[in-house]
Amino acid sequence: MILFSIILLILAILGAPLFTIIATSAMLGFQSNDTSLLTVPLEFMSIAQVPVLTAIPLFTFAGYLLSECEAPQRLVRVTRALFGWMPGGLAIVCLVVCALFTAFTGASGVTIIALGAILYPALVQDGYSDRFTLGLVTSSGSLGLLFAPSLPLILYGVVAQVSIDDLFRAGIVPGILMIIALSMYSMWQARGIHRREVVAAIREAIWELPLPIVVLGGIYSGFFAVSEAAAITALYVFVAEVFINREIALRDLPRIIRESMVLVGAILMILGMSLASTYYMIDMEIPQKLLALVGELFSSQVTFLILLLIFLLILGAILDIFSAIALVVPLILPIASTFGVNQVHLGIVFLAAMELGYLTPPVGLNLFISSYRFEKPILHVYSATFPFLLILLLSVILIAFWPGLSLWLV
Amino acid sequence: MKTALDKLERAGQSAETAAIVVIFTAMVLVAVFQIVNRELLGSTFAIPWAHEFARYCVLWLAMVGAIAACRENKHIRIDAISHVVSGTVAAWIRVVVDTFAALVCFAVGWQSWLLVHEQLSWGEFVIGAVPLWLAHALVPLAFFLMGYRFAVRASSLLYDLAKGKVAEEPE
Repeated sequence: MILFSIILLILAILGAPLFTIIATSAMLGFQSNDTSLLTVPLEFMSIAQVPVLTAIPLFTFAGYLLSECEAPQRLVRVTRALFGWMPGGLAIVCLVVCALFTAFTGASGVTIIALGAILYPALVQDGYSDRFTLGLVTSSGSLGLLFAPSLPLILYGVVAQVSIDDLFRAGIVPGILMIIALSMYSMWQARGIHRREVVAAIREAIWELPLPIVVLGGIYSGFFAVSEAAAITALYVFVAEVFINREIALRDLPRIIRESMVLVGAILMILGMSLASTYYMIDMEIPQKLLALVGELFSSQVTFLILLLIFLLILGAILDIFSAIALVVPLILPIASTFGVNQVHLGIVFLAAMELGYLTPPVGLNLFISSYRFEKPILHVYSATFPFLLILLLSVILIAFWPGLSLWLV
Repeated sequence: MKTALDKLERAGQSAETAAIVVIFTAMVLVAVFQIVNRELLGSTFAIPWAHEFARYCVLWLAMVGAIAACRENKHIRIDAISHVVSGTVAAWIRVVVDTFAALVCFAVGWQSWLLVHEQLSWGEFVIGAVPLWLAHALVPLAFFLMGYRFAVRASSLLYDLAKGKVAEEPE
């Protein structure tokens, strides 16, 4: 069994699709356990039994459609009109826009590619140093995962069986905290740079501005269920961009739907297989055994959270956020509740730490995307991003040890 | 031969896109109709199977999306190794991992097939009047197609390696 695990680990590192790794470990587990292998497809098919999952294809489609049209440019103009007058205004614009955009598109690589191209030259033109700009754009790309309707939040809710409404509420204050922390750093960096933008942008973006209100207002007020808000968002974005703004031709639509569903397929393969492997782990009482093994290490909630953070930072640097949620959350959830960590709070800490993982060298995903997108050497990206990484690390520590931040609005 | 295969590939791709568009559109329409019906029409035309339909749409979209993800090589992997090695070593590694992926997909496909076969005799119905096995039938099919896709990729790469046709940046 240990030999098999090592082989699987090597195959995973060599780049085998992660769902095949999870599937194999589930099948090997059931085999050794004398459980029917039919449990694997049976658990996999229970994808069709989880009501909130319907939100995933709908929000993914809306996000892809938004990134295909000129919504990013309009979003930049509006936020610039709102924040541009402040010292460090454009940097703050960058942070806010990227966070909003990531909340809708989920995978933060998209943000760097869609928005970076607009923001990078604008920032340099406004007098920010190249190095600061690179660091800012790279780290902005992972902000926003804590805001509704981000896919990782929904996925955490599904895996941990926690109310998604609660998670959406819980993410607000910690998410804003991270933005404020980076904004303050930007203001300090931007001493002496002043710009005043003429307010004329709001009219242009008139059709996109109601989106956060529809989504957040609808969900937070209890008017819509999450999956309903997702359907409304998908339809709304479709009508606004195809029929009103006319930036997407109808003939492009099949391609966009296909591209967004490719991502959905990739995520749900991992989720479906991890449903099977989780079934095995719970059947074998692996979380309990793990707790017995590591329980000695933690004497209190504080030591548990410290070790959890270290673990998550490493995890976030090597594993993508969807696989990490599907694989690791079922394992740490029982341990966390033993130490009295609230499940909603755990979700926020988990995602906040994973956000950092995107920026952690050597393999943080955003570092590579940024290096590729802006044609900068990877080592240069590492060092430019480092101050931002430190600030975000402090925020994550604050979020972890101050549960009230997350649970305030729940 | 080559052109016939190309045609099959293109037909497959169009079929994926068509299936995705149809399922997705149906899902959005049914979901929106439910809300309109509840909020504006006072629940006059409630569709009893609407929620179940939407959930099965997710499963179907996941399956077709996963087939398409295979074609476009977009399944989630740890992508660290490609930053370290390149050329023939990288190609060999990909042959190994794609062969492994193909085997796993065939194994899961086979188990899914057995399960669906068993569900034939259960006589259960979902979404109003759809037999349970039929709603699940896409799962084994999709895993077999994914296995086929991974196998094709591995073998064509192996062929290129044998011919010495692997450049510094494969594919």
